[in-house]
Amino acid sequence: MYIYDDFDHTVAQQRVAEFRDQVGRRLKGELSEEQFRPLRLMNGLYLQLHAYMLRVAVPYGTLSATQMRKLAHIARVYDRGYAHFTTRQNIQYNWIKLEEMPDLLAELASVQMHGNQTSGNCVRNVTADHFSGAIEGEVEDPRIVSEVIRQWSTFHPEFSWLPRKFKIAVTGAEKDRAAVQWHDIGLHIVRNDADEVGYTVYVGGGMGRIPVLATKVRAFLPKPELLSYLEAILRVYNRHGRRDNIHKARIKILVRDLGPEEFIRQVEEEWEASRQSGVNLPPQEEMRIARYFELPPLEKIAGPVAAFEDAKKQNRAFAQWVATNVHPHKAPGYAIATISLKPIGGIPGDIAADQMDAVADLAERYSFSEIRASHIQNLVLPHVKQADLFAVWQALGKIGFADANAGLVTDIIACPGLDYCSLANARSIPVAQRISERFADLDRQHKIGELQIKISGCINACGHHHAGHIGILGVDKAGQEFYQLTLGGAGDETASTGQLLGPGFSSDGIVDAVEKVIDTYLDLRQPAETFITAYRRVGPAPFKEKLYGAKQ
Amino acid sequence: MAKPDVPKVLTGNLLRNGATVYYTGKEWSAYVADAKVAATADEAEELRKIGAAAYAANLVIDVNVVDVQPTAEHTPAHIREVIRATGPTVRRDLNKSMSAE
Repeated sequence: MYIYDDFDHTVAQQRVAEFRDQVGRRLKGELSEEQFRPLRLMNGLYLQLHAYMLRVAVPYGTLSATQMRKLAHIARVYDRGYAHFTTRQNIQYNWIKLEEMPDLLAELASVQMHGNQTSGNCVRNVTADHFSGAIEGEVEDPRIVSEVIRQWSTFHPEFSWLPRKFKIAVTGAEKDRAAVQWHDIGLHIVRNDADEVGYTVYVGGGMGRIPVLATKVRAFLPKPELLSYLEAILRVYNRHGRRDNIHKARIKILVRDLGPEEFIRQVEEEWEASRQSGVNLPPQEEMRIARYFELPPLEKIAGPVAAFEDAKKQNRAFAQWVATNVHPHKAPGYAIATISLKPIGGIPGDIAADQMDAVADLAERYSFSEIRASHIQNLVLPHVKQADLFAVWQALGKIGFADANAGLVTDIIACPGLDYCSLANARSIPVAQRISERFADLDRQHKIGELQIKISGCINACGHHHAGHIGILGVDKAGQEFYQLTLGGAGDETASTGQLLGPGFSSDGIVDAVEKVIDTYLDLRQPAETFITAYRRVGPAPFKEKLYGAKQ
Repeated sequence: MAKPDVPKVLTGNLLRNGATVYYTGKEWSAYVADAKVAATADEAEELRKIGAAAYAANLVIDVNVVDVQPTAEHTPAHIREVIRATGPTVRRDLNKSMSAE
């Protein structure tokens, strides 16, 4: 993974010193809250219902064991012994004290971490496929270009005060695990007919109150020209994006208002100027960064691994875990293991300090000290020998993270919701917990098959409900929590927006409603159909009928 | 104009540590049961002024006057404020009571 050079270290240390000074002045009353608020947000520090919340950036979801141990230490010393992995591959602490923030930030900086670009109207922390560099069939590891974009965008003076926040995601594989079409800019690394590497560029995707799938603005952008093209997009946005109305400030609205053709014309025109400006990365610098993402020194392993095959035959629970939580690695004899942070009845994405330490130990022992955070709020050990998977699974069992449910009905995404968040209208986590408990039977989960439930506690959609096969949106109805159901959303290469099914359900009724939807699917599915393929075949009608009766 | 018959309390978060607090009439307490209750519109307006002054004095942020029920513990009227007063409903181990006792 990327290792800070002197320049990066200096930037991080300067930021710590600067924020220490700012916090000191705020506590002495020399800065007002109006003056200080944007400064703390630039370091990822929000105020939530119970305390300050700190969002720490995990660039493109890649973490080392050392960093994970530091995150555990911070949970113990500065928080209440736990933290929360988010839907943007970041990690959040819920009980932070402002007066301790400077020391906390210094601890983070000691392991190359910070809260930069986790808030504010800047280019946010870049997200990428959580299987990057390990999965078969990638044109290129998307973390390389993600790191390039990180370096280019951090404290970029021109793009620090955009009309609104700006999210970029990258996938290097055909199978899109980074939801690129749901981002302000989505990059899909591709190879053209001449075998050159470049990007298919999507612009203007986004969730929130107006869900929009991105427009493909370029089928092929040559790799060396990326930064000048990104600069052109951001310049057009910075110039014309609306600053008068926060609900219309994202680039998706600009693309819609200008129309895709005019938007693309303006970007191409701007690009003619920016590509001459020298912002494009020299190939040798790109190669220097790429070297940080080379595969670790894997062993050459030929043929099937007998110990692994035997363990699957002898232990059904292990075989079930392998079926859902293990993906093939591009190197023979290795595997990618997903650590489910979704124990039955648990809080999606939450992890205690001791569990973080245990994951760090496992990464160190079995995965070249590498860990990934996924936007599905799980963790990943990207380079595990097949022969070690049984030991990894057993160790995960000891910390309560061995559930064989990755991609299944209990692998639920949920935002913090009204339990923590000052923006939320309804709770998300308890709904996730009750659905998880309802479907606790693992055989039933495997019978239902791949199914993504995503829950947001307000229209800002941090829980990605628009992209859920089953989406749940919490609303406030005359002081009561109510939940709307959407069906048919997807975040992968077949991205689609979930459609609202009908009137919402009470907190008591929502779990029954979800179960009815799933039972309806089981009744009508054809062999080998998943929930989403069945839904796309039959549409909403059978589900509406089941939930609301024939008249709806 | 606020209805005079809905009791209200003044709440905010301490600047230095973000903790949720309630104005008691002379200081700020972690417990909503300790809060001074405004029974009339004029008393609520008085709380608002005290809140604005405490904000200006850099003591509390996110200052609000919120509705409570006429109970001994001043249980907040809205679920959001109940959660603020007691903590996340999904982590009862980290919750506090509405009163110190």
